[in-house]
Amino acid sequence: MTTEQSPARWLQVVIGWHLLAAAAALFAAILLLTGGGPAGSMALWARLLAAFLLLGWGMGSGAAAFYIYHRIHRGRTLSLFTNYLAFVFFFLAACQIMGVFLGIDTLANNIGRGLPFLLLAFIGYLIGTAADRYEGYYARQQQITRISQGIMVAGGLIAALAAGLLPGLINLLRQLGNPTALGLVIGMGICLLMLWLMGREKAAAALHAQTHHEAMINGYLFLSPNLLGFLIFFAGPLLLSLYVSFTDWDAFGTRNWVGVQNYQRIFDLNIATLSSPTQRADEVLDVTLYGELARFTIAGRSIIVGARDRLFWIALRNTVVFSLLAVPLSVTIALVLSNLLNSKLPGIKFFRAIYFLPSIAAVVGISLVWQWLYNSTVGFINYGILTVITFLNNVLGTEMADPAIRWLSESRTALLAIIIMAVWQTVGFNTVLFLAGLQNIPGDLYEAATVDGAGKWAQFVNVTIPMLAPTTFFVITTTLIKSLQVFEEIFILTNPVGGPDNSTLTLVVYLYQNGFQFFKQGYASAIAWVLFIVIFGATLWQFRRQQQSVSGVYDV
Amino acid sequence: MKSYRLTQTLQNAAVYLVLTGFAALMLFPFIFMIATSLKEPADTFRYPPRLLPRAPVFVEMAGYEQDLPLYYVTVDGDEEQYALVESGIRVGRYAPADNLAMELVRPLTDVTPTEEMALVNGEEKPLFLVEQDGQLVPMVLVGQTALGRFVNPEDPTQETLANVRLSQPVERLTAHPDNYRRVVELNNMGRALTNTALVTILVVIGQITTSVVGGYAFARLKFPGRDSIFLFYLGTIMIPFVMLIIPLYQIMVLVGWVDRLASLIIPWIFTAYGTFLMRQFFITVPKEVEEAALIDGASRWQILLRIFIPASVPALATQATFTFLYAWNSFFWPLVIINTGNERNHVLTLALNVLRGRASDAPNLILAGAAISIIPPLIVFILGQRFFVESATSSAVKG
Repeated sequence: MTTEQSPARWLQVVIGWHLLAAAAALFAAILLLTGGGPAGSMALWARLLAAFLLLGWGMGSGAAAFYIYHRIHRGRTLSLFTNYLAFVFFFLAACQIMGVFLGIDTLANNIGRGLPFLLLAFIGYLIGTAADRYEGYYARQQQITRISQGIMVAGGLIAALAAGLLPGLINLLRQLGNPTALGLVIGMGICLLMLWLMGREKAAAALHAQTHHEAMINGYLFLSPNLLGFLIFFAGPLLLSLYVSFTDWDAFGTRNWVGVQNYQRIFDLNIATLSSPTQRADEVLDVTLYGELARFTIAGRSIIVGARDRLFWIALRNTVVFSLLAVPLSVTIALVLSNLLNSKLPGIKFFRAIYFLPSIAAVVGISLVWQWLYNSTVGFINYGILTVITFLNNVLGTEMADPAIRWLSESRTALLAIIIMAVWQTVGFNTVLFLAGLQNIPGDLYEAATVDGAGKWAQFVNVTIPMLAPTTFFVITTTLIKSLQVFEEIFILTNPVGGPDNSTLTLVVYLYQNGFQFFKQGYASAIAWVLFIVIFGATLWQFRRQQQSVSGVYDV
Repeated sequence: MKSYRLTQTLQNAAVYLVLTGFAALMLFPFIFMIATSLKEPADTFRYPPRLLPRAPVFVEMAGYEQDLPLYYVTVDGDEEQYALVESGIRVGRYAPADNLAMELVRPLTDVTPTEEMALVNGEEKPLFLVEQDGQLVPMVLVGQTALGRFVNPEDPTQETLANVRLSQPVERLTAHPDNYRRVVELNNMGRALTNTALVTILVVIGQITTSVVGGYAFARLKFPGRDSIFLFYLGTIMIPFVMLIIPLYQIMVLVGWVDRLASLIIPWIFTAYGTFLMRQFFITVPKEVEEAALIDGASRWQILLRIFIPASVPALATQATFTFLYAWNSFFWPLVIINTGNERNHVLTLALNVLRGRASDAPNLILAGAAISIIPPLIVFILGQRFFVESATSSAVKG
């Protein structure tokens, strides 16, 4: 009863800390909101965000003090959470200020010197594996393990020393002279102390912890690295991107709210009627604002479409054309190949591995290879075409001319060249996915179909295709999502990027140009969101189709 | 029954034929890459293109300081391998004034000019004394050209003149692994390789750690909000990566990581997809084992380290391989965040992009660079494919 009245000394310390921290957080939040002190130089959104986070944290801290005082377990949870968050923040901030993250550059510079010694550690590991041979000779095994561990530790240590461990540590210690860094490290220490105080059994007992409390604390503790990273590097940026798409952010400091202006510009189309199909565009369109996108004739009326951002629509068209050609080609070829591979013939695994190779190589490297294959004078592709044509001419007596296609420098063929390469690269992966799907189809379905007198083709159409529907959905969706974001192939293969004559300009290429060449990052963000809607729509469409086809199968 | 077996065999042969054809298509660019990366520069621009690298053959001959290139030349109707001793010899084509078709080729210095003239096609031309079968015959100069002097390497007295450009050089298969050394020096590829390896290893370790720990929490720990957070994670897997490029760039500007390797590592060690995969795997581990360990007083960390991680080696290997490929091959983000000028922090893909401009006339060097970037993933794939192909596909089919 006495402990209930006056908390133990260590609990008083925790309560005091939480009250103090809450007050400090509130003070800092107010400072941020009013823009006083050093906060004045920060951007408004950053100030608001920081103030909001600090307020939330301060309230949590205050509540922790309150509940702990009243011996309610929620106080312990809150205390652990707030201290943990503060610890992570202090830790990251200290790393940032003391140059730990930037030190990776130095590490990359010096690691070459440490590599030979890492080899030593590897030899130690190999010696350790030899211990398995002496099963039953316990003493011998122990001895070998000890030697191997010794060599590994020595190798690792020498490697670390050679890569500059000591200068790095000394540099880190020297940084403690910086008052901010020192403060952060002290903050880290306090939070650690608090975490220890509240995490131990004694605290759990004092606050009547139950199993589900422990489970919750454990759960969030385990999830926290992932969740924090996810919030900071995924959810946060996503929200930021949405905000940026409503500004004219340019990466140099200008960031004015412009409302939906970016989106308006993207979707601003102007449709006009022409008096004749060949009438000049500037007679019906305000060509200072609108570029001619397309003209066509419906029911005797000639119509011209002008777009404020003509390039966006060209990019959209190219992206859609690319996807509509590349995805069906890749998926169909993969489907055929996987059915061939599914026969129980020897050596199938070998073919499967070979088909997989293109999808594991870097697109950049692959593109460089194809660039030379596509070379119009000495490239193997044109040489192959010429060989085939000469052969056909000799056999059939025809006189077909050498097309001598200038693959990448002609606007008619550039996108096709990219599509061929993309199909080549994705087909193997899709084949392997289909193969796995095929192997999951129960064999008795085929037996039943054979009994019913179905031929190979009928089996393929009536058994394989419907049973493969979930895999097909997965394959089409992933290929589609990837192809709607095609960029790297085009960046390497075309010159200028997106050329010739904008024939390979895709949405992501256009996004890249806007965001990182013209630094119109607000506009680029708006393009990104339009792209997202396109991808989302495509996925949804596929999902609907799959649902229909699946229900179709089971209804029958 | 026999005809059935015959059709079966024919069918299998057809299947193998198609499969082999596709395998050739799949492999050809890789073979082309390796072969070209071992070529000499002159060999890469040859038409018609040849796959394998070749180099001209040289012979050592007494009396000559340098080794001499061998060519195929026709001597007395036979094709022989002769060495080119001297090129650019000015020769004249001579013919008798009354029979212009009977041409002879002689070096300009081997004939004796005369004072006499002859009438050819209504034109007066000077006559030269030209040696033919041991006799000196007066002839007119029809045309001039430059030829090479070739000698039989076994018998230097046997000589012949032939057009050097039209003669086929004697070649043999060869390899220039030196291209790899040159490209590493030319383009700081060594540093790019170290950077890529460092970045990749750190990203793999980071992703594995966060997704193992997170996947365990999702699979085996009960806490309020778990299922909604998991659903949220699932929902974000579909969100394309390009959405993040611009805001992440701005965040990197804010924390001062532009141009730094940290920007290639820290933002990429958290993965919703990997967490999802690990959770799917951990769910299949029997609960009884874990409960027994809990009763024995093991902590959650111990259970994770001693039971779950050893049980999930195939899943870990799969995810590590995927992450390795992803980190090793990534290009868009490094392109955006690392300056073209800051070569110290380039990764391989960026170095290749620079090399593309720097060695635009040397495909052998460019493709050597491409091979440097492609071969390590191939090795990882070959090592990891046992786990990789099987479980990559099973997750797709179940998911």
